[in-house]
Amino acid sequence: MPKSLRTNLSRRAALAGAGTLVAAPFVLGTRGFAQATGPIRIAGLVSLTGGGSPFGPNMRAAHQAVVDEVNAAGGILGQKIEYLAEDDQTNPEAGVRATRKLIDVDKVSAIMSVWASSVGSAVLPLCWENKVMMLGICAADSIAALPHQGYFVRTQPHTELQGAQFAKFAIAQNAKHFYVMMPQTPFTESTMKGIKDTCEPKGIKVSTLVYDAKKTSFRSELDEMKRANPDVLMMGGYQPDNIVVAKDLFRTGYTGKVVGFAYGVTPQFIDGAGKEAAENIYSIEPVPAAGSSAFDRLKKLLKRDTLDTYVCQAYDHTNLAILAMAKAGAASGTAIRDTIRKISNNDAGFKVDNALDGIKAIKDGKEIKYTGASGPCKFSDIGNILEVTFRFNQVKDGKIVEAKI
Amino acid sequence: MTEKVLQLVLNGLMAGAVLAVPAIGLSTIFAVLRFVNFAVAGHMAIGAFAGYLLNTAFGLPASVAVAGAFFGAAAIGVAADHVTLRRLRSYSALTLAIASIALNVMVESALRFVFGGAPRNYAIPLRRDWVLGSLQVGPQQVESAVIAVVAMSLLFVFLAITTTGKAMRAVADNPTLADSKGIDPERMARIAVGIGMGLAGIGGMLVGLDTSIDPLVGFRAILSVFAAAVVGGLGSIPGAVVGGLVIGLAEELSLLVMPATYKSAIGFLAILVILTFKPSGLLGARAT
Repeated sequence: MPKSLRTNLSRRAALAGAGTLVAAPFVLGTRGFAQATGPIRIAGLVSLTGGGSPFGPNMRAAHQAVVDEVNAAGGILGQKIEYLAEDDQTNPEAGVRATRKLIDVDKVSAIMSVWASSVGSAVLPLCWENKVMMLGICAADSIAALPHQGYFVRTQPHTELQGAQFAKFAIAQNAKHFYVMMPQTPFTESTMKGIKDTCEPKGIKVSTLVYDAKKTSFRSELDEMKRANPDVLMMGGYQPDNIVVAKDLFRTGYTGKVVGFAYGVTPQFIDGAGKEAAENIYSIEPVPAAGSSAFDRLKKLLKRDTLDTYVCQAYDHTNLAILAMAKAGAASGTAIRDTIRKISNNDAGFKVDNALDGIKAIKDGKEIKYTGASGPCKFSDIGNILEVTFRFNQVKDGKIVEAKI
Repeated sequence: MTEKVLQLVLNGLMAGAVLAVPAIGLSTIFAVLRFVNFAVAGHMAIGAFAGYLLNTAFGLPASVAVAGAFFGAAAIGVAADHVTLRRLRSYSALTLAIASIALNVMVESALRFVFGGAPRNYAIPLRRDWVLGSLQVGPQQVESAVIAVVAMSLLFVFLAITTTGKAMRAVADNPTLADSKGIDPERMARIAVGIGMGLAGIGGMLVGLDTSIDPLVGFRAILSVFAAAVVGGLGSIPGAVVGGLVIGLAEELSLLVMPATYKSAIGFLAILVILTFKPSGLLGARAT
């Protein structure tokens, strides 16, 4: 008998035990009554590793900073708030495991700042099934279209809206033929739709190519693109595939304009692709409300001179969740769901840019309107952000600078 | 249309030549030790980083740094095998293959701990493609293909004319008979692992020269590498060369008939077809 089979019985027993433990929540059911009693808990499901790792640690710091200052002032509803953070590894499978822990073990009321659309798509059903509010970033249009029963809002502009910005870029460049290259993602289809819907009525031809981001070379895909002879190319990938694409664009001598998402055209992208290949590439990003009182306040809170849009959104998520609970007089996910638009969409309310001022105003019996560091924070019925500002950047001399389009 | 096909064939041959090098590494280890060592992926990354250090810290050109990629990956490959997989030699091939996946995770995690996860670039200037009529090919692609051919040729010479090479082939052909002739199987195993992981290291550096490097540079290529080895015939070194070229060509030519997003499916498809109709592979001697 091979050695590998000698301990089969004990392994089977161990596997059966482990399997029972894993299956128990599914068999017994965990449908939720999260946060029915006990301390007030909210959580950040952030990307500390993987593709979202450049942003996750700062987002966690923003969550914690807001919770700390609210607790220092006495908390809400007569209790301190407990903040928990889990790493989704920018990976849906890890995200689901972390969410199960946050919901089943920690009994959180809200899960905040889920970054990747693939993770958001995977964990949102767990949230609505367990009546936990999700305040997300994940931009794929398909997420808001899920039957989430209102347990979802996001501060990142949805991808069809972002697609329209790429289309505006092409229009501003007087493009005749806009070629859109993107990897297969949950937001590929909606981004391409946003581009086509805006470009084609203007007479701009739009061609699309969805590539396999797991491959190590895209030479043939770029040959296909070059044969179409477009004057503007959208390099719509994440950082690793953008590096390969940019290098090959340089090698093949492509002379048209190139534009990508800001999260794929980062300083690390410039290092990886090389300054020559990255030079002149444009990017589009939703911008935080730079200069607003909430933005300046967050800079002081985190002791930072610069803030990216994601850390601003994380700050807003925390303030919104806390203020919604304070306004509702209850700390459940359902209370946040039912109240969040009363403190975010109410233009007639008393303007606040942080949870402390908002809690005080609520205690004074005032209606409030939270305006955040990422923007006005107004949400549609399905949870999409309603008002967003975008900025165009360009790589110049190896640095990312704002571009006038 | 003809030009498009020719360009795809050219791209496929260039990609296939690079793919063939780690595929030979995988096949070499399989020929002697009879299991699929998935830690080849992590050792591709080790080779890529070893070449990167020699290139960026000491200014060595790619053609020289690639020797460092071979020896760096070979040395760490032998050491890692000695510490982990050697103790499991008497277990089944499946156990060893699973253990090699664990080893691969450890290797990639160690690289991430030391170098971080951000992409890195060799200190080699980007060059424009050469234009040959309607065809385009990158100087770096050609250089990588030449390095791959030289590495493969040296391996063939080693196996054909040296005593150690002949002993390795004897162990691969008939381990029992080789043992009765006094060939030390453990020594042959160490040499096979060294050569196999060294070739994986070269493959990792060649992939990195064309793209960029990070701890997952080998992981992204491992499916195609494995498919190349299976298609050619696991354990057959000429088969790995043929398999690499077949997979490289198939992945590129697939763009004629299917969307680019399904390129990864070609590797799976090739494995499925070969295992169904010729389990021993195109040039494999025996079904395993």
